[in-house]
Amino acid sequence: MKKVTVNGQGPSGNLALRVYRNAYFRYILFGVIISLLPMLAQSGVMPSSFLVNIGSVLIYAVVAMGLNLLLGYSGLISLGTAGFMGLGAYISGYLTEAMELPFLVAVLVAIVVAALLGTLVGFVSLRVAGIYLAIATLCVSEILRKTFEELDQFTNGFSGFTAGYPILFGISLKREATFVLLTVVLVLVMMLTHNLVNGQMGRALHAMRGSEVAAQAMGINLLKYRLIVFAIATAYAALGGALYMHFVKFSYPSTWIMMFSLNILAVVVIGGLRSIYGTVIGALIVFAVPDLVLKRIPVIGKIDGIAYIFTGVLIILVIMFYPNGVVGLRQDLKRLMSKLFGKKKEGAHHV
Amino acid sequence: MSKHHSSTGTLASDQVLNITDLSIQFGGLKAVEGLSFDVKEKEIFGLIGPNGAGKTTAFNCITQFYHPDRGQVLFRTRSGEVMDLVGHPVHQIIRLGLVRTFQNVEVIKELSLIDNVLIGAHTDFKSTILEQALRLPRARREEKEMRRKAEEALEFMGIAHLKDAPAGGQPYGVLKKVEMARTLMCRPKLIILDEPAAGLNDSETAELAQTIRRVRDTYHCTILLVEHDMRLVMNICDRICAISFGQFLACGTPEEIQNNKLVQEAYLGEEEGE
Repeated sequence: MKKVTVNGQGPSGNLALRVYRNAYFRYILFGVIISLLPMLAQSGVMPSSFLVNIGSVLIYAVVAMGLNLLLGYSGLISLGTAGFMGLGAYISGYLTEAMELPFLVAVLVAIVVAALLGTLVGFVSLRVAGIYLAIATLCVSEILRKTFEELDQFTNGFSGFTAGYPILFGISLKREATFVLLTVVLVLVMMLTHNLVNGQMGRALHAMRGSEVAAQAMGINLLKYRLIVFAIATAYAALGGALYMHFVKFSYPSTWIMMFSLNILAVVVIGGLRSIYGTVIGALIVFAVPDLVLKRIPVIGKIDGIAYIFTGVLIILVIMFYPNGVVGLRQDLKRLMSKLFGKKKEGAHHV
Repeated sequence: MSKHHSSTGTLASDQVLNITDLSIQFGGLKAVEGLSFDVKEKEIFGLIGPNGAGKTTAFNCITQFYHPDRGQVLFRTRSGEVMDLVGHPVHQIIRLGLVRTFQNVEVIKELSLIDNVLIGAHTDFKSTILEQALRLPRARREEKEMRRKAEEALEFMGIAHLKDAPAGGQPYGVLKKVEMARTLMCRPKLIILDEPAAGLNDSETAELAQTIRRVRDTYHCTILLVEHDMRLVMNICDRICAISFGQFLACGTPEEIQNNKLVQEAYLGEEEGE
């Protein structure tokens, strides 16, 4: 089911259907649809302020994809997401603004530095597990946040660091173009993640989550995969941070607090562990729904911290009813549909 | 592969595994003490003993989950080299051609049966993570090739029709077959089965006996069985080693073991004492 290729040698079969079933095609289609949003905004169908919200959601989806690799696939927890994302933001911001390096170079440096730091955390993860790993990663994140505050010659401290929209190959992108860039990055990250989790590495991570003893007996080097998965997760976080810097255009140390890491955790849990689309949906639910929907509701919208209440309640509901995230809804909807429309067939079976 | 020990010991040409003076102690408890036995090529060999005899400990010492305090575990690898396994990192053992199953089947519920089987081929992949991330030709070719091999293994176990079904929710018998299929992926030289009959009914156990023989004959490997179920052991083993309280009791054919005074005492000792 997973691996239907466009040029598969199936003798018959609808070509269009086969193309549609191709996972890569669907990621691209998804990206194309999202990148049409700026047009909607320009034509006035959608308030253009939504663009900033949705664009941030795309960034958070990239970051949460990394945490999903850790938590969903490998069963490792990290509460350090905020710190690593902030690190990516400041590095990329400083390199482009103060050192006037090209955007792509800055992003690359941000990713590499964060990934190296992530690898160090990977070493720690071999010694501590569960709640202790959560605390250890949280400490790393807090140390980073404190560093952002103190190193004000680089980060501008509490006043916050400002950067411009990205300049790609000499072209300064506007908000709309940056939005499209975010979409492209997200789609690439989705494809990359898809490839990783559906191959040897994905299976190794699954095995590691299932049982460390069994994984080792199957020849899986725990240390190697822990380092790799932490490196990838932090690389995604730093990539997200760099994009954030050049899309939202400012970064304060107070953005990169534990609450933010918890929100990313909520994205993964609500959206769906081990689900690529679920991660994107989760990011939309956690980061866009409160701002775009809840705050517009008359009385409820006025409640202080409504976003936290919403996320909290949702996490409880999801864990109770859809432990694999809201992507589980799809199966239920399918079942409901077949019940409603396929009644005759089923009835015939039962008789 | 940094800690490869030089091939020190010697192994008779028909042996695949030779254990000498294996000892391990936890605190004051001597779990295994001075255990020695050997397993010949293409043999189905049983390791038996009453509860707490140290079977599983011995087995964990062979596969290097535990590093024994003393003794030698000589093994003839996939490539024919003789090697002392003691001190090897546990995840490198499978590369040498020694693979095991688990008493409480270790399969990943969220993965399909075929993906579970593919985990067994982990060490055979040569493409790097980057090649896999970008789906470069070598990674694609390898994945396809391994998938075909996994299908063959599932076919061999008679569950190829279930290959895309998730492992979660499959009956226990099917999961045991998945685990067996997984061991076949690594071109094993020696398969160690940890209580394969546990949780199976009589007809399933009879089928298991057939399967074990078929695996040995088709894949030309040796099988070491750690088992409680006496009927299975007596039925299929060429030779059996019996241990009790971590110590060697006897080694021989099923008849010899059944008639051995020490073994009888170890299993029935309490009754005789009354």
